[in-house]
Amino acid sequence: MSHTHISSAFDRDLEAIQALLMKMGGLVEEAIMEAAKSLETRDEDLAMKVREGDKAIDQLEEQINDEAAKLVALRAPIASDMRLVLSVIKISANLERIGDYSKNLAKRTTVLNQLPPQDGAPQAIRRMAREVQRMLHDVLDAYIQRDADLALEVRDHDADVDQMYNALFREFLTFMMEDPRNITACMHLHFIAKNIERMGDHVTSIADQIVYSVTGQKPEESRRKGDITSTASFEK
Amino acid sequence: MYDRTFPENAVTAQDIKIEAKGVNVHYGDTHAIKDVSVDIQDKTVTAFIGPSGCGKSTFLRCFNRMNDTIDSARVTGDIRIDGEDIYDKRVDPVQLRAKVGMVFQKPNPFPKSIYDNVAYGPKIHGLAHTRADLDDIVEKALRRGAIWDEVKDRLQAPGTGLSGGQQQRLCIARAIATEPEVLLMDEPCSALDPIATGQVEELIDELRRDYSVVIVTHSMQQAARVSQKTAFFHLGNLVEYGDTDEIFTNPQDPKTESYITGRIG
Repeated sequence: MSHTHISSAFDRDLEAIQALLMKMGGLVEEAIMEAAKSLETRDEDLAMKVREGDKAIDQLEEQINDEAAKLVALRAPIASDMRLVLSVIKISANLERIGDYSKNLAKRTTVLNQLPPQDGAPQAIRRMAREVQRMLHDVLDAYIQRDADLALEVRDHDADVDQMYNALFREFLTFMMEDPRNITACMHLHFIAKNIERMGDHVTSIADQIVYSVTGQKPEESRRKGDITSTASFEK
Repeated sequence: MYDRTFPENAVTAQDIKIEAKGVNVHYGDTHAIKDVSVDIQDKTVTAFIGPSGCGKSTFLRCFNRMNDTIDSARVTGDIRIDGEDIYDKRVDPVQLRAKVGMVFQKPNPFPKSIYDNVAYGPKIHGLAHTRADLDDIVEKALRRGAIWDEVKDRLQAPGTGLSGGQQQRLCIARAIATEPEVLLMDEPCSALDPIATGQVEELIDELRRDYSVVIVTHSMQQAARVSQKTAFFHLGNLVEYGDTDEIFTNPQDPKTESYITGRIG
């Protein structure tokens, strides 16, 4: 929407709330990357920083919800304004969840640091995290540019994350079968991989919100889904 | 779980009450309504919205030939109510206006008693044969106007002594006393406080059961609250016409979007 409101205060409110959302998005991107890095480099301080940083993300979500409630009460937004406010509320909830998963990753890093290193897996997880972080970055770009096509593109990338998760799932299963002493580490690593896969789902949901906010329609065409582990089993 | 419906939004009748085709209105050299075609549904509240001077009131006034009273106004095109051409030479505008009632922006009760305000229409249209008939009609109209309880003990008091909100409901009762089929409302709440506005809006929703209601309003929120269909007018054109919930969540025309969201269009 290129036109500005007759009430410039309305525009200022809308801009302010979106600036908060972008700030939150930036913090969450950072949390994903740093959590994954702390896992790979076994960096306890960095893991601690991620855990501490989650508070700021939670506070931003609360602030965004308060501002959104105020905007609804005082400005009674309709049409694209209303869709925008609704999407801000939902997207901030998605970001908050992604922040929680990052924090959880950092917690597990601390546990894993007490155990012998697992070859390869932390690197693979970091690659997966980088993919999710890139998706999040693109989806936030799509938000700023009000670009529904870009959002739809991001949505399709989620299948790649699912594939990465499937591969890790099998790998961890194999490790655990090979040597039961691997179970503790592999269980933690598996939860981490699953959580990153869930982050991808939240990014996808953000993409859906952008499409709705921009076009007024929910994306209809079914997207590629790659997570098949819910029906997987290991037969000897 | 069973499905819940939202009755205030559900359009119950699909029957077309008013059918306008290619309507043009000129005031002298001014082209006020430009080739507007629209089907107004029965038992539905239809809101006309748009900036001042967009022609929404002019178009509303075509439905009961109120524009006939303005010398410079010229109406062309086809307007039918229940399939009947209301601009046909054989149609008596006075009879038409009994069938198509109207409520105005400012409450305008006659300087007479509350009773006479309501009784006037039925009397001149010969709807009552006895005094008892007339009493019945007046009570029924005042009840349907949601004002009976407030005035039943002082029917002989002057209508002008009521509060603004009561006066407006009295005017609505007066309009429905002649058993109209269509009710036109031109900014019926713009002179009322929020409580009185709420009462009139509640009444409009009640009236929808029996009438086709067309309301002109400057309040976007009012259009959203009371109507099931919304038409947006701009510079004499009908820009967009559709279900109210669609218009207010996802309007199709950028001009509608700009107007309802309060942007400079």
